[in-house]
Amino acid sequence: MSTLTNVRIAAVGDIHLGEDVRGEYRKRLEGIEERADVLMLAGDLTRHGTLEEGRLVADELRDLPVTTVAVLGNHDYHSDQQDAIAGELRDAGVIVLNDDGVVIECGGTKLGVVGGKGFGGGFAGKCASEFGEREIKDFVAHTRSIAEAWKVALKEMQADRRVVLSHYSPVKETLHGEPLEIYPFLGSYLLAEAVDTVGAELILHGHAHKGSEKGLTPGGIRVRNVALPVLGKAYAVYCLD
Amino acid sequence: MEAPQYVAARIQQALAEDARTHELGIHVDVRGDQLFLRGQVSGTEQRERLGQVAHEAAPDLRMHNEIKVVVVSEPGEDEHLD
Ligand SMILES: [Fe+2]
Ligand SMILES: [Fe+2]
Repeated sequence: MSTLTNVRIAAVGDIHLGEDVRGEYRKRLEGIEERADVLMLAGDLTRHGTLEEGRLVADELRDLPVTTVAVLGNHDYHSDQQDAIAGELRDAGVIVLNDDGVVIECGGTKLGVVGGKGFGGGFAGKCASEFGEREIKDFVAHTRSIAEAWKVALKEMQADRRVVLSHYSPVKETLHGEPLEIYPFLGSYLLAEAVDTVGAELILHGHAHKGSEKGLTPGGIRVRNVALPVLGKAYAVYCLD
Repeated sequence: MEAPQYVAARIQQALAEDARTHELGIHVDVRGDQLFLRGQVSGTEQRERLGQVAHEAAPDLRMHNEIKVVVVSEPGEDEHLD
């Protein structure tokens, strides 16, 4: 039987780095190893998703003293360079999740992280469905296949504790502050449903810059919106006790 | 005359799609000949670029750039999830 030790997770999303702020975010990460065991980045690391910006982000995150896990966000897809950006990040020592999982050793505890960009569609009762035009069906099917991949990854994962890292939101509570009309573009309940089915201790996401930090899935899993404008600080630290 | 809601929508679209900004979270209001920009960004330059793009999209409006620059501070208190 393995004993569970506390795991300290530093998390932030939507750092949207550009040439004009080169070096500044790195400075804010100084001493992170005193505060946390792992850093999780919830996507939108760039502004326009260009390879140049991807390289800049990779430089900022290179060889940090804590294990660093990231997913990409919609901005990182904007220039169709997402694979190259992920490659740059991996070369810099960052684990990039793309609807799969990783197990990290944290002081004797196996911390499992599953995640990816996620996608939209809306929330139960007020969401798009796979009906009608091909474009709408493709939209919903994209979210559905992502949720399914997370479910499988969570099920197959051999870990003591599980955390999910996303860009889009799994719940609407953490969108509070955003206009209701755009909720379907900010997340999907299918993501929460998938995680609730298998179980996890925490879901981290970004994307909703005007949202709020704290929410809960219908199954009772804690959700945290760690978008930088929401946190107003370099990163938040969550301790799994 | 173009309805103010359409003007605001056009400006918002420009802020999101212009390669200089790509900012999706800015609130745009048009009242008469006045244009108001609200929201948060992480740097002064981005605020200025947003003002510039908005101005180009609606050069006849008097702009009030009320976008706030949020300085990223040190991480604060930890949250314990038990
Ligand atoms: Fe973002
Ligand atoms: Fe986003």
